[in-house]
Amino acid sequence: MVVGVGGVTVGAEPGAGQPDRAGTGRVTRREMTRGLLASAAALALAPLVAASRPVPSTGMPTGTSFDETYRGRRIHGVLVPTEGRAVGGGEWQVTVDGRPLHLMRRADGTWLSMVDHYSSYATPLAAARAAVDEIGPGQRLRDLAPGPMGGGHMHMGGGHGVRA
Amino acid sequence: MAYVRKNVGRLTAGERKRLVKAFLEIKRRGEYDEFVRMHIDYYTPDGDDGLRTAHMAPSFLPWHRRFLLDLERALRRVDSSVTVPYWDWTRDRTRSSVPWTKDLLGGNGRARDQQVMTGPFAYSAGHWTIKEGITDGQFLARDLGRARDPIELPTSAELNRALDDPTYDAPPWDSTVTRGFRNKLEGWGTGSGSASWHNHNRVHRWVGGAMLGGASVNDPVFWFHHAFIDLQWERWQARHRGQRYLPANPPGLTDPQHERIVARGEKLPPWGVTPQSLEDVSRIYRYA
Repeated sequence: MVVGVGGVTVGAEPGAGQPDRAGTGRVTRREMTRGLLASAAALALAPLVAASRPVPSTGMPTGTSFDETYRGRRIHGVLVPTEGRAVGGGEWQVTVDGRPLHLMRRADGTWLSMVDHYSSYATPLAAARAAVDEIGPGQRLRDLAPGPMGGGHMHMGGGHGVRA
Repeated sequence: MAYVRKNVGRLTAGERKRLVKAFLEIKRRGEYDEFVRMHIDYYTPDGDDGLRTAHMAPSFLPWHRRFLLDLERALRRVDSSVTVPYWDWTRDRTRSSVPWTKDLLGGNGRARDQQVMTGPFAYSAGHWTIKEGITDGQFLARDLGRARDPIELPTSAELNRALDDPTYDAPPWDSTVTRGFRNKLEGWGTGSGSASWHNHNRVHRWVGGAMLGGASVNDPVFWFHHAFIDLQWERWQARHRGQRYLPANPPGLTDPQHERIVARGEKLPPWGVTPQSLEDVSRIYRYA
């Protein structure tokens, strides 16, 4: 799934003009946002702008992976190099007890998870631990099925992470 | 004729009953879960690429205003007397005050697993199964005040600090901006831990459980909370006459925020309406 690249870009449309990479559901989202992107020049520039945006260094973890048991849950994270990215770039793929935990990045370099969406943490590991703090006993992360608004969105599905 | 959104504490017993019934009906029809999903789908953070509409952006307020209107329309298709009430968390601040009553949203989650056990939205009542959740738990979860490490709801003083700012929003128009009404209200602070959670964000944190995660809409208090946030936009406009939504114009080609935020006259996904068109909704509803 290419969702880590295109799924979340509701408006910037790096995939505009290309085949629908993420599958069904994406067309609707694209059509919904088309009005915002009237200019062909803007469409052409969007990927360039996205690719050249500097990545903040604050809060970067020193390593490229972690693997620990925290409060009885196995937390695993690995920085997966992404093609076409600068050195040190990539996606953090994090799991809790083997289930994907989607992480998001704030502009200040801190991290949020789907479990704890209204606070951010200095590192992917800290965000993963904070998520574990909030996952109730006996519960596991769930893979959300594709829905009416955008099947294949980057929040859903397994294995993908967020660019570092 | 504009309808009225009331303080949730001032609803009559009959109004509470009809409101709950309308929520349960749109849940039964599957409409409610579409709102949950939509809110998940539009959470684009400012450290990732892409257009931000619902959070960490100037359009936080108009996006949620329109989102509330859609929900309210769905409720009113079931019962035209229903409107979304607001929860004034500067006044109703305890785990036993409104809206946490049995005839409205039910109470706190139990200690063992945060499961809400009382009221119409308790799993055991049979009408509120979580379908678009972050975990596989099928029940609504809450952890009011965060039992493990207690925090307080935002105070009226903190809310006032947001309302006092005469500028709607300011560059870089994201979660790191320290001035402007929008982010002071949305509540992305600096630093870490409790001191960095303000107003809107802090309330999500205080309610906990479902409200803390990407699927926060699963807790109907989401709407009562956001109606109160929406009311603050009106209050801010009244306090700073002539001040408007910013930016007025889209950031230029060389601006890092180019194509990443919605300016006043641009179309706001997914509706294609402009923030400008949502600045004055007095013909649709008013707050009492």
